Amino acid sequence: MKIDHSLPLEYSTEENRLKIFGFWIFLGAEIMLFATLFTSYFVYEHRSGNGPSGAEIFELSPVLMETILLLASSFTIGLGIHAMRLGKQKAMMAFFAVTLVLGLGFLGFEIFEFTTYIHEGAGITTSGFTSMLLTTLGTHGLHVTFGFFWGLAILLQVKKRGLTPETANKSFIFSLYWHFLDVVWIFIFSFIYLKGMM
Amino acid sequence: MKELFPIKQVMGFVFSLILTAVALLVYFLDMSFTAGITILLLTAFVQAGLQLVVFMHAGETEDKGAIYSNVYFGILVALVTIFGTLLIFLWDM
Repeated sequence: MKIDHSLPLEYSTEENRLKIFGFWIFLGAEIMLFATLFTSYFVYEHRSGNGPSGAEIFELSPVLMETILLLASSFTIGLGIHAMRLGKQKAMMAFFAVTLVLGLGFLGFEIFEFTTYIHEGAGITTSGFTSMLLTTLGTHGLHVTFGFFWGLAILLQVKKRGLTPETANKSFIFSLYWHFLDVVWIFIFSFIYLKGMM
Repeated sequence: MKELFPIKQVMGFVFSLILTAVALLVYFLDMSFTAGITILLLTAFVQAGLQLVVFMHAGETEDKGAIYSNVYFGILVALVTIFGTLLIFLWDM
Protein backbone atom coordinates (compact mmCIF):
# COMPACT_ATOMS: atom_id res chain seq x y z
CA MET A 1 0.00 0.00 0.00
CA LYS A 2 1.51 3.28 -1.11
CA ILE A 3 1.01 6.02 1.45
CA ASP A 4 1.33 9.57 0.21
CA HIS A 5 2.21 11.74 3.20
CA SER A 6 1.64 14.99 1.37
CA LEU A 7 -2.12 14.35 1.46
CA PRO A 8 -4.44 14.23 4.50
CA LEU A 9 -4.64 10.79 6.07
CA GLU A 10 -8.06 10.02 4.64
CA TYR A 11 -6.76 10.49 1.09
CA SER A 12 -3.38 8.92 1.65
CA THR A 13 -3.84 5.79 -0.44
CA GLU A 14 -5.31 5.16 -3.88
CA GLU A 15 -8.00 2.99 -2.32
CA ASN A 16 -8.94 5.74 0.12
CA ARG A 17 -9.22 8.31 -2.64
CA LEU A 18 -11.46 6.02 -4.66
CA LYS A 19 -13.64 5.23 -1.68
CA ILE A 20 -14.26 8.93 -1.15
CA PHE A 21 -15.02 9.39 -4.83
CA GLY A 22 -17.33 6.38 -4.76
CA PHE A 23 -19.21 7.90 -1.87
CA TRP A 24 -19.75 11.08 -3.88
CA ILE A 25 -21.33 8.93 -6.60
CA PHE A 26 -23.62 7.44 -3.96
CA LEU A 27 -24.56 10.94 -2.82
CA GLY A 28 -25.53 11.69 -6.44
CA ALA A 29 -28.03 8.83 -6.19
CA GLU A 30 -29.22 10.17 -2.85
CA ILE A 31 -29.91 13.54 -4.48
CA MET A 32 -32.25 11.70 -6.85
CA LEU A 33 -33.93 9.77 -4.05
CA PHE A 34 -34.85 13.01 -2.32
CA ALA A 35 -35.71 14.68 -5.63
CA THR A 36 -38.39 12.06 -6.29
CA LEU A 37 -39.75 12.52 -2.77
CA PHE A 38 -39.87 16.31 -3.24
CA THR A 39 -41.55 15.82 -6.62
CA SER A 40 -44.33 13.73 -5.11
CA TYR A 41 -44.63 16.11 -2.19
CA PHE A 42 -45.11 19.13 -4.45
CA VAL A 43 -47.71 17.23 -6.49
CA TYR A 44 -49.72 16.30 -3.38
CA GLU A 45 -48.98 19.41 -1.34
CA HIS A 46 -52.44 20.94 -1.76
CA ARG A 47 -54.39 17.69 -1.86
CA SER A 48 -55.16 17.51 1.81
CA GLY A 49 -58.73 16.20 1.41
CA ASN A 50 -60.54 16.29 4.75
CA GLY A 51 -57.25 16.40 6.64
CA PRO A 52 -55.30 19.45 7.78
CA SER A 53 -53.18 21.53 5.43
CA GLY A 54 -49.54 22.43 5.92
CA ALA A 55 -50.34 25.91 7.18
CA GLU A 56 -52.57 24.34 9.85
CA ILE A 57 -50.10 21.86 11.30
CA PHE A 58 -46.64 23.40 10.76
CA GLU A 59 -45.17 25.14 13.77
CA LEU A 60 -42.12 27.32 13.52
CA SER A 61 -40.40 26.72 16.86
CA PRO A 62 -39.73 22.94 16.70
CA VAL A 63 -38.75 23.26 13.04
CA LEU A 64 -36.37 26.10 13.81
CA MET A 65 -34.82 24.10 16.66
CA GLU A 66 -34.32 21.12 14.33
CA THR A 67 -32.70 23.41 11.76
CA ILE A 68 -30.30 24.98 14.25
CA LEU A 69 -29.38 21.62 15.78
CA LEU A 70 -28.62 20.10 12.40
CA LEU A 71 -26.72 23.16 11.15
CA ALA A 72 -24.64 23.15 14.34
CA SER A 73 -23.96 19.42 14.01
CA SER A 74 -22.81 19.93 10.46
CA PHE A 75 -20.42 22.60 11.76
CA THR A 76 -19.06 20.43 14.59
CA ILE A 77 -18.41 17.45 12.35
CA GLY A 78 -16.53 19.80 10.02
CA LEU A 79 -14.42 20.84 13.00
CA GLY A 80 -13.97 17.14 13.81
CA ILE A 81 -12.50 16.50 10.36
CA HIS A 82 -10.29 19.57 10.75
CA ALA A 83 -9.00 18.25 14.10
CA MET A 84 -8.45 14.85 12.50
CA ARG A 85 -6.28 16.46 9.84
CA LEU A 86 -4.23 18.08 12.58
CA GLY A 87 -3.79 14.63 14.08
CA LYS A 88 -5.64 15.58 17.25
CA GLN A 89 -7.55 12.43 17.97
CA LYS A 90 -9.09 13.54 21.28
CA ALA A 91 -10.45 16.79 19.84
CA MET A 92 -11.74 14.93 16.81
CA MET A 93 -13.56 12.39 18.97
CA ALA A 94 -15.01 15.17 21.11
CA PHE A 95 -16.36 16.98 18.02
CA PHE A 96 -17.80 13.74 16.66
CA ALA A 97 -19.46 13.05 20.02
CA VAL A 98 -20.99 16.56 20.07
CA THR A 99 -22.21 15.99 16.51
CA LEU A 100 -23.97 12.78 17.48
CA VAL A 101 -25.57 14.40 20.54
CA LEU A 102 -26.87 17.25 18.35
CA GLY A 103 -28.15 14.61 15.92
CA LEU A 104 -30.01 12.92 18.77
CA GLY A 105 -31.49 16.30 19.76
CA PHE A 106 -32.69 16.74 16.20
CA LEU A 107 -34.33 13.30 16.26
CA GLY A 108 -35.96 14.11 19.61
CA PHE A 109 -37.62 17.21 18.17
CA GLU A 110 -38.64 15.34 15.04
CA ILE A 111 -40.26 12.53 17.01
CA PHE A 112 -42.07 15.15 19.13
CA GLU A 113 -43.21 16.83 15.91
CA PHE A 114 -44.46 13.56 14.43
CA THR A 115 -46.47 12.64 17.53
CA THR A 116 -48.01 16.14 17.48
CA TYR A 117 -49.05 15.59 13.86
CA ILE A 118 -50.62 12.24 14.68
CA HIS A 119 -52.54 13.81 17.60
CA GLU A 120 -53.77 16.56 15.30
CA GLY A 121 -55.16 13.95 12.95
CA ALA A 122 -52.41 14.12 10.34
CA GLY A 123 -51.41 10.47 10.07
CA ILE A 124 -49.66 8.88 7.14
CA THR A 125 -52.98 7.65 5.64
CA THR A 126 -54.95 10.89 6.19
CA SER A 127 -54.40 12.51 2.81
CA GLY A 128 -52.04 12.72 -0.13
CA PHE A 129 -50.43 15.69 1.56
CA THR A 130 -49.79 14.10 4.97
CA SER A 131 -48.71 10.87 3.36
CA MET A 132 -46.00 12.54 1.25
CA LEU A 133 -45.06 14.90 4.07
CA LEU A 134 -44.42 12.09 6.52
CA THR A 135 -42.69 9.93 3.91
CA THR A 136 -40.28 12.72 2.95
CA LEU A 137 -39.57 13.79 6.53
CA GLY A 138 -39.40 10.16 7.63
CA THR A 139 -36.87 9.22 4.95
CA HIS A 140 -34.65 12.06 6.07
CA GLY A 141 -35.18 11.15 9.73
CA LEU A 142 -34.28 7.52 9.04
CA HIS A 143 -31.09 8.69 7.36
CA VAL A 144 -30.21 10.69 10.46
CA THR A 145 -31.03 7.71 12.69
CA PHE A 146 -28.83 5.46 10.57
CA GLY A 147 -26.13 8.14 10.61
CA PHE A 148 -26.24 8.25 14.40
CA PHE A 149 -25.42 4.56 14.73
CA TRP A 150 -22.89 4.69 11.91
CA GLY A 151 -21.13 7.62 13.56
CA LEU A 152 -21.19 5.87 16.91
CA ALA A 153 -19.55 2.80 15.40
CA ILE A 154 -16.86 4.95 13.78
CA LEU A 155 -16.24 6.80 17.03
CA LEU A 156 -15.71 3.47 18.84
CA GLN A 157 -13.38 2.26 16.11
CA VAL A 158 -11.27 5.44 16.23
CA LYS A 159 -11.06 5.04 20.00
CA LYS A 160 -9.93 1.44 19.62
CA ARG A 161 -7.55 1.73 16.66
CA GLY A 162 -6.52 5.36 16.70
CA LEU A 163 -6.22 7.50 13.58
CA THR A 164 -5.05 5.29 10.73
CA PRO A 165 -5.50 5.84 6.99
CA GLU A 166 -8.44 3.45 7.29
CA THR A 167 -10.29 4.99 10.23
CA ALA A 168 -9.58 8.52 8.95
CA ASN A 169 -11.08 7.53 5.61
CA LYS A 170 -14.21 6.14 7.26
CA SER A 171 -14.58 9.25 9.40
CA PHE A 172 -14.24 11.53 6.41
CA ILE A 173 -16.83 9.58 4.42
CA PHE A 174 -19.18 9.71 7.40
CA SER A 175 -18.72 13.49 7.53
CA LEU A 176 -19.73 13.72 3.87
CA TYR A 177 -22.90 11.77 4.66
CA TRP A 178 -23.71 14.00 7.62
CA HIS A 179 -23.20 17.23 5.68
CA PHE A 180 -25.38 15.83 2.93
CA LEU A 181 -28.22 15.24 5.40
CA ASP A 182 -27.89 18.85 6.43
CA VAL A 183 -28.16 19.94 2.80
CA VAL A 184 -31.33 17.87 2.39
CA TRP A 185 -32.72 19.43 5.56
CA ILE A 186 -32.09 22.93 4.21
CA PHE A 187 -34.37 22.07 1.29
CA ILE A 188 -36.99 20.50 3.57
CA PHE A 189 -36.88 23.56 5.81
CA SER A 190 -37.22 25.97 2.89
CA PHE A 191 -39.58 24.21 0.52
CA ILE A 192 -41.76 22.17 2.83
CA TYR A 193 -41.99 24.20 6.04
CA LEU A 194 -41.34 27.83 5.13
CA LYS A 195 -43.15 27.55 1.81
CA GLY A 196 -46.07 25.89 3.62
CA MET A 197 -46.24 28.63 6.26
CA MET A 198 -45.68 31.54 3.86
CA MET B 1 -7.53 25.71 21.07
CA LYS B 2 -7.70 28.37 18.40
CA GLU B 3 -6.29 26.09 15.74
CA LEU B 4 -9.29 23.79 16.26
CA PHE B 5 -11.65 26.50 14.99
CA PRO B 6 -10.48 27.45 11.50
CA ILE B 7 -11.82 30.83 10.45
CA LYS B 8 -13.13 29.46 7.16
CA GLN B 9 -15.42 26.96 8.84
CA VAL B 10 -16.53 29.37 11.56
CA MET B 11 -17.43 31.92 8.90
CA GLY B 12 -19.20 29.19 6.95
CA PHE B 13 -21.32 28.38 9.98
CA VAL B 14 -22.10 32.04 10.73
CA PHE B 15 -23.01 32.60 7.10
CA SER B 16 -25.34 29.59 7.07
CA LEU B 17 -27.08 30.95 10.19
CA ILE B 18 -27.48 34.31 8.45
CA LEU B 19 -28.95 32.60 5.39
CA THR B 20 -31.39 30.74 7.63
CA ALA B 21 -32.41 34.06 9.20
CA VAL B 22 -32.91 35.59 5.75
CA ALA B 23 -35.05 32.60 4.73
CA LEU B 24 -37.17 33.21 7.84
CA LEU B 25 -38.15 36.62 6.44
CA VAL B 26 -40.69 34.86 4.22
CA TYR B 27 -42.43 33.76 7.40
CA PHE B 28 -42.31 37.04 9.29
CA LEU B 29 -42.84 39.51 6.47
CA ASP B 30 -45.89 39.73 4.30
CA MET B 31 -44.68 39.20 0.76
CA SER B 32 -45.93 37.82 -2.52
CA PHE B 33 -45.53 34.15 -3.35
CA THR B 34 -43.06 34.94 -6.13
CA ALA B 35 -40.88 37.09 -3.88
CA GLY B 36 -40.95 34.49 -1.11
CA ILE B 37 -40.03 31.59 -3.40
CA THR B 38 -37.23 33.62 -4.97
CA ILE B 39 -35.72 34.28 -1.55
CA LEU B 40 -36.07 30.63 -0.56
CA LEU B 41 -34.49 29.38 -3.79
CA LEU B 42 -31.58 31.76 -3.33
CA THR B 43 -30.92 31.05 0.35
CA ALA B 44 -31.34 27.27 -0.04
CA PHE B 45 -29.01 26.90 -3.00
CA VAL B 46 -26.36 29.26 -1.62
CA GLN B 47 -26.43 27.38 1.65
CA ALA B 48 -26.18 24.01 -0.10
CA GLY B 49 -23.21 25.29 -2.10
CA LEU B 50 -21.60 26.53 1.09
CA GLN B 51 -21.84 23.08 2.67
CA LEU B 52 -20.42 21.48 -0.45
CA VAL B 53 -17.40 23.74 -0.77
CA VAL B 54 -16.55 24.73 2.81
CA PHE B 55 -17.52 21.64 4.77
CA MET B 56 -17.42 18.77 2.29
CA HIS B 57 -14.10 19.78 0.73
CA ALA B 58 -15.50 18.98 -2.71
CA GLY B 59 -12.75 20.73 -4.65
CA GLU B 60 -9.71 19.57 -2.74
CA THR B 61 -8.21 16.71 -4.71
CA GLU B 62 -7.53 15.60 -8.25
CA ASP B 63 -11.08 14.16 -8.30
CA LYS B 64 -12.47 17.69 -8.16
CA GLY B 65 -13.74 17.69 -11.74
CA ALA B 66 -15.42 14.30 -11.46
CA ILE B 67 -16.99 15.16 -8.08
CA TYR B 68 -18.45 18.43 -9.31
CA SER B 69 -19.68 16.84 -12.57
CA ASN B 70 -21.41 14.15 -10.53
CA VAL B 71 -23.05 16.67 -8.22
CA TYR B 72 -24.10 18.98 -11.07
CA PHE B 73 -25.55 16.03 -12.97
CA GLY B 74 -27.44 14.91 -9.85
CA ILE B 75 -28.86 18.40 -9.38
CA LEU B 76 -29.74 18.69 -13.08
CA VAL B 77 -31.67 15.41 -13.11
CA ALA B 78 -33.32 16.37 -9.80
CA LEU B 79 -34.47 19.76 -11.16
CA VAL B 80 -35.69 18.25 -14.46
CA THR B 81 -37.65 15.63 -12.52
CA ILE B 82 -39.19 18.14 -10.11
CA PHE B 83 -40.03 20.90 -12.59
CA GLY B 84 -40.96 18.49 -15.38
CA THR B 85 -43.47 16.86 -13.07
CA LEU B 86 -44.80 20.20 -11.84
CA LEU B 87 -45.29 21.30 -15.45
CA ILE B 88 -47.42 18.26 -16.23
CA PHE B 89 -49.30 17.73 -12.97
CA LEU B 90 -49.74 21.18 -11.48
CA TRP B 91 -49.28 23.80 -14.13
CA ASP B 92 -51.22 21.88 -16.80
CA MET B 93 -48.91 22.53 -19.70
